[in-house]
Amino acid sequence: MIGALTWSVVAPLACGALCLLPGRAARWFALFGALVPLAVGLAALGDFARHPGADFRLVESYPWAASVGAGWTVGVDGIGAAMLALSGLVAAIATISAWNETRNPRVYHALVMLLLAAMNGVFVTLDLLVFYVCWEVMLVPMLALIGVWGGEQRRYAALKFFVYTLAGSVLMLAMLIMLWNRTPAGGRTVAVQAIEIQAHSHDGGATLHGLPVERFSDGSVSVTVPRGFDLRHLQLQWRTWEGERVLGMSLAAFGFLAVLLAALVKVPAVPLHTWLPHAHVQAPTAISVLLAGILLKLGVYALYRLAWPLFPAQALHWGWLIGVIGVIGILWGAWVALGQRDLKRLVAYSSVSHMGFCLLGLAGLTAAGATGGMVQAVTHGLGSSLLFLLVGVIYDRAHHRNVDGFGGLATPMPRYAWILLIAALAGAGLPGLAGFVGEAMALFGSFTAGGPFPWLGALAALSVILSAAYMLWTVKRVAYGPLAHPEHAAYTDLDARELAATVPLVVLIIVVGVWPAPLVDALRPACENLVAHVRSALP
Amino acid sequence: MIPAWLSSAILLAPLAAAVLTLLVPRSRPALAHGLAAGVMAGCTALAVWLATLIVPGGVAYQGPHLPWLDLGGLVLGVGTFVDPMGAIMAVIVGLLATLVLIYNAWYMHDDELAGRFPWQFSLFVFAMLTVVLADNLFMSFVGWELVGLGSYLLIGFWFAKPAVKDDAFYQQMKGAGARGILEDRLSPAHAQLKAFVMNRVGDAGFLIGIGALLAAGVASGVREPLTWSNLALIAQGGALPGTFLGLSGSELLTLACLGIFCGAVGKSAQFPLHTWLPDAMQGPTTASSIIHAATMVAAGVFLVARCYPLFTPDALAVVGWIGGITCLLAASIACVQWDLKAVLAYSTVSQLGLMFVALGAGAAAGGQAAGIGHLFTHALFKCLLFLCAGSVIHACAGHQDLHRMGGLMRRMPITAACAGVAVLAIIGAPFFSGFWSKDAVLAAALLHGQTAGGAAWGPFLLACAGSLLTAGYMLRWWIRIFAGHERDHAVCHHAHDPAWYASAVLIVLAPFTVMFVWSPWLGHALGAPHSEAHAHAHHSAMLVASGLLLVGGGFAVLAFWWKDAIAAAAARALRPLHNACGELWGIDRLWDVLFTRGLGAGLARVSAVLDLGTRDRLASLEGAAPSKLSDALSLDGLIDGIGRTCRQIGLSSAAWHDGRLGAYIGLAAVIGAAILLLGVLL
Repeated sequence: MIGALTWSVVAPLACGALCLLPGRAARWFALFGALVPLAVGLAALGDFARHPGADFRLVESYPWAASVGAGWTVGVDGIGAAMLALSGLVAAIATISAWNETRNPRVYHALVMLLLAAMNGVFVTLDLLVFYVCWEVMLVPMLALIGVWGGEQRRYAALKFFVYTLAGSVLMLAMLIMLWNRTPAGGRTVAVQAIEIQAHSHDGGATLHGLPVERFSDGSVSVTVPRGFDLRHLQLQWRTWEGERVLGMSLAAFGFLAVLLAALVKVPAVPLHTWLPHAHVQAPTAISVLLAGILLKLGVYALYRLAWPLFPAQALHWGWLIGVIGVIGILWGAWVALGQRDLKRLVAYSSVSHMGFCLLGLAGLTAAGATGGMVQAVTHGLGSSLLFLLVGVIYDRAHHRNVDGFGGLATPMPRYAWILLIAALAGAGLPGLAGFVGEAMALFGSFTAGGPFPWLGALAALSVILSAAYMLWTVKRVAYGPLAHPEHAAYTDLDARELAATVPLVVLIIVVGVWPAPLVDALRPACENLVAHVRSALP
Repeated sequence: MIPAWLSSAILLAPLAAAVLTLLVPRSRPALAHGLAAGVMAGCTALAVWLATLIVPGGVAYQGPHLPWLDLGGLVLGVGTFVDPMGAIMAVIVGLLATLVLIYNAWYMHDDELAGRFPWQFSLFVFAMLTVVLADNLFMSFVGWELVGLGSYLLIGFWFAKPAVKDDAFYQQMKGAGARGILEDRLSPAHAQLKAFVMNRVGDAGFLIGIGALLAAGVASGVREPLTWSNLALIAQGGALPGTFLGLSGSELLTLACLGIFCGAVGKSAQFPLHTWLPDAMQGPTTASSIIHAATMVAAGVFLVARCYPLFTPDALAVVGWIGGITCLLAASIACVQWDLKAVLAYSTVSQLGLMFVALGAGAAAGGQAAGIGHLFTHALFKCLLFLCAGSVIHACAGHQDLHRMGGLMRRMPITAACAGVAVLAIIGAPFFSGFWSKDAVLAAALLHGQTAGGAAWGPFLLACAGSLLTAGYMLRWWIRIFAGHERDHAVCHHAHDPAWYASAVLIVLAPFTVMFVWSPWLGHALGAPHSEAHAHAHHSAMLVASGLLLVGGGFAVLAFWWKDAIAAAAARALRPLHNACGELWGIDRLWDVLFTRGLGAGLARVSAVLDLGTRDRLASLEGAAPSKLSDALSLDGLIDGIGRTCRQIGLSSAAWHDGRLGAYIGLAAVIGAAILLLGVLL
């Protein structure tokens, strides 16, 4: 009997296959395929909220490529659980928003399910090889979804997305091989800190991550790590990676660089972000929702799961640079969003700005900041999905996305205007809405961190002006004032399907904004543990 | 004994009103108004009860406190804290909210959007009470931002209204060459956006101030550093522990205070962020009456007073000077306004400046009590003034131009009398509340000038000049509307007092403008210091204020009631000054050119092209063909260039592998020569 986390990958795959069956049931299969990971993720998240802890739960392990030490090993901590829940939610909402897709709907939904399975694979796996495989598999359905179902310049945008992200992640493959290659065939014995055993050993210190613990008379503790790809085992060897040399630098530096490049392209961080506006503008609404709601988070997730735990000394050394990149993204993204006239592009740049807070929060290495970065990833998933849905709503009616081509839509579409206002205010970081929590935590974390981070936080604080300006200016130009075009008076307000897609997000944005404690409590232990792990690398 | 639920109930009642009225069908505005007013009245009653328990003893009360978020070693909480200042403020907020809701039921009786007003208004009041009753700075910030939301909703209440191009204010400004830069300048949709963004400019500073206090809190190892009691502990001795942005000690504390004050400059419409408030009168007059009185602008003054123990002398000097400059600047602009709400709007800005002058004088000079005292008296008479203005606008079928009014005293006696007492209060006439509170402000500033000397006299002198002008322009306002002859019969002939319940609201508010109702008691409740020096300063200030009142008020009566020619002659004689005031001293224009058009619309657009080039731009919008050059030089273009170069290298190197013997030999020769050359050179 396979466990819940495996189902969260298998169910979308199976539903994807069922989608291809003839008939009109594809969308129902797709919806079900998204609801399974949502249920699993929510259950796991609830467990972490009730019983906070930094350990991996729902762990299952099946042999797969035992000869190289790779296996289907899955498990989630608070971070993984939150990401899994988000991915299920966003996929379900994207499916609802594409409910009436007419262009080859069976293949469309099947590809979305394949994409979802690959993303969930990244979120639940504890095996680096599987992580990499899922990471690359994601590109294929995305390439097809943008390249076939996209707008006029879909082929350019799809190719750009593909080349950009592939080029970003190619070094990760090299890193993966090197890490394996530099581990002796018989495994490596490494010293372990007492706190790591405290945090992760379930049997009072007899084993750690399934490896027997050896204790010596001088009080030191060690485990013998086999050659393989288990992330928890690789993490134990981080000191070894610092010592190994490759290409004139330490293996740790190379590996850090490799993950960083792959992650920063996905986030996306300035100046590696220009694939995003093209992809968003060309992608159909539902694919934009998936892209902004989940795909960007994978970059942040890779930093939290790979770069920081595997190479803590490098994270400590280069943290300031990630903070600077984050702040540049926050300010430049907001600034450029202010100058956009294409609504989708505007939301895309607001994503660049908001995702910068994830980098800033993580880089400062405070519990508040690191947790805030992850909260921001979740809340941005809710907020930007909603914004893209709302752009899609008026695109369906007006067949253009020019922000100056609207005006006064609040009169014919009052419900739409209210939801747009809530989404914009969440994007502008209004307290009481979800967008505020992550931003405030990332800022407060930076303020209380050492080194250059208070300065970076102070610069990032200026973005509250810009985000209010571009978000509310957009609301004004779209919804308020007298009706700019008389033909818009005939526009209908949100219909049942559109409400079904947007209202759950609105409710979540308000609930998380007013009472963020469960989410934060679920995320905090894992983030605190990460910060402590990286800080333990201090010389 | 104070019941534990009391303060929380006061805080949550307006939120309950907002939720309840949100559920009332939009077609039943009277029901929604009644419901909201009823809940607000209950809230006011509870606030009065709480005040009677707290004010006489003069001790602060800490209500229930809950953690809201644990950030890992750093806790943010929610809870209530009430001291005499907060208790009285809560009473005033509740009282004015109740009265304004009742009044609004009449004011919007034929407005189809009226059903929206009660819930937005109640949300606004909830936000303000959050600021007033918060027991920590973080919760204040949350309330602060929600106040911004409430004002955004109310200013943009008539969201579909087009820009008022034939508005007197607009025409005058356009004639003077200052306004009309953006055609939709005076639409509610623009005003709400402007108010929110201008406030956010101040909030960015507020956040940095919070950052300084958080860093100090972490340095001193306090788990929840932002509660008022812990802040006082951390900032003991006028210095903060730790470093932040390269500052430490008392400099760091000054930074924190200036950050908080920066937020107050935005919210309380102080120079140079004051320009949003006059535009905000695009909202319903009833909304203005609460924004200008008990909520929104009051929040800034209240927060500075709440954080008063933190403020260093350096920070207070900045507070005093900004207040003084704003006081005179706004008063000078108010003198030449012809829109009846614009005069009141600038008078609010000016009076808020006066409050900051008092706060800048320091606690020893009685600044805190004076500033807060003036906030309270001002809240009541300014609310009354705006409600009277609403009656006049309603009576004159929406006209707001002072040129076309006059002689309304006979047609609407209740409004004229109530506006009259409110004007007497704002100009500080003896026996009115403004006389007492303005005297306290000037006395504090005077005493501060005497003790500190030198530049410390500046705020006092600016406040005196502002008070002189206030006497002039407020009397001019009343005389222009209510006294003399009817200038435009078409506008005025339907005028009458509002319905009985709206008139009753005016009549209920009017006694609060009289000094003996509450003023001496207020000074005692707020803990104004008593000494020989204070008494002496009060006498001097009273003399100065009376002199200013006689000169300013006398001129207004002469020039606007007795002989219009005097006003015209004065305007001619002071033409450059008159024009500068008419052009709002160029500040609005500067903001427009620099930020709205320059940075906002211009440079951001350029940045967008720098980032992505001009490709696939919207054909319907741009018209012009995409520019190849900017495409190639944009960030995206450069990255595409890398891709293109790789492709070119691939294509051209493919040519070397196509099996032509001559090419291979040529390539080998070139490489060999290069190696030889390198060998010789090295």
